Amino acid sequence: MASTSSSAAVVEERESGRKRKRGGATGESEGAEEAQPSKWRTRRVHEIYSSKLLDAIRLVRSGSGSPASAAAGTAAAAAADPQSSRAVREAADRALAVSARGRTHWSRAILASHHRRLQAARRARLREPASPPLRHPTSPPGKGPKAPALARKAKVLGRLVPGCRKLPFPALLAEASDYIAALEMQVRAMTALAEVLSTVSASSSGTSSSPA
Amino acid sequence: MSSRRSRSRQSGSSRITDEQISDLVSKLQDLLPEARLRSNDRMPSSRVLQETCDYIRNLHREVDDLSERLSELLATSDMSSAQAAIIRSLLM
Repeated sequence: MASTSSSAAVVEERESGRKRKRGGATGESEGAEEAQPSKWRTRRVHEIYSSKLLDAIRLVRSGSGSPASAAAGTAAAAAADPQSSRAVREAADRALAVSARGRTHWSRAILASHHRRLQAARRARLREPASPPLRHPTSPPGKGPKAPALARKAKVLGRLVPGCRKLPFPALLAEASDYIAALEMQVRAMTALAEVLSTVSASSSGTSSSPA
Repeated sequence: MSSRRSRSRQSGSSRITDEQISDLVSKLQDLLPEARLRSNDRMPSSRVLQETCDYIRNLHREVDDLSERLSELLATSDMSSAQAAIIRSLLM
């Protein structure tokens, strides 16, 4: 596709630019695993995520995915079932968070909220008293945006990125950068998976044996 | 230098400067799709934040649409583990 090849060229520029800046700007050597947005562009992370994604949504298919679909009590998946669509979305997000390797607030927040939901469902079944939800420790006062308009937009941004409502402004910007790069990879991987699945199901439902 | 050091005694995250903030904002700007059209001219921070929010909302919507598409595709196919292995290799 023409668009991917041109964007790949842009990506390489971006990546080399970022690496150069990163090397010069700070003295810390964080190795290859640092939380840089450019790491979401590598082939490796795309492959790792695609594999996790495939596993995760196969679980949704079999109905054992999220407590929400289990509570609905129906295993029959209608064609555009909103339940299963939401379950796919949540599974994809969790797989994305896992691929982040716990180095960002947004990824930890996604996994924590899923964990809380599982705990709540488990407790509801066992009828135990629910423990109070863990409060995120209040962040130290950092530099914030000076204009009220900026502060308003920063608040909106904090609500869009999971787990970032109370972050100081600089951390919020860093999280947003990483989150955007991760989301873009998620879109690429899910699109590729949808293409593969539609090709596979088209060819298997058509003729009996011969692949295209 | 000394003012930065004294601030660090008060709170943990104080080594952030205006320069670092504008650096983060411009990094964010680079990620936005519009940045390719604007050849990296500096946009005002409020514009960058606005575009960032819009872009994230856009990406969320794309992921939702893709989730719907994937759940439809999964509903119509019965995937054996052999088929899953083939699909996995097609993705690599």
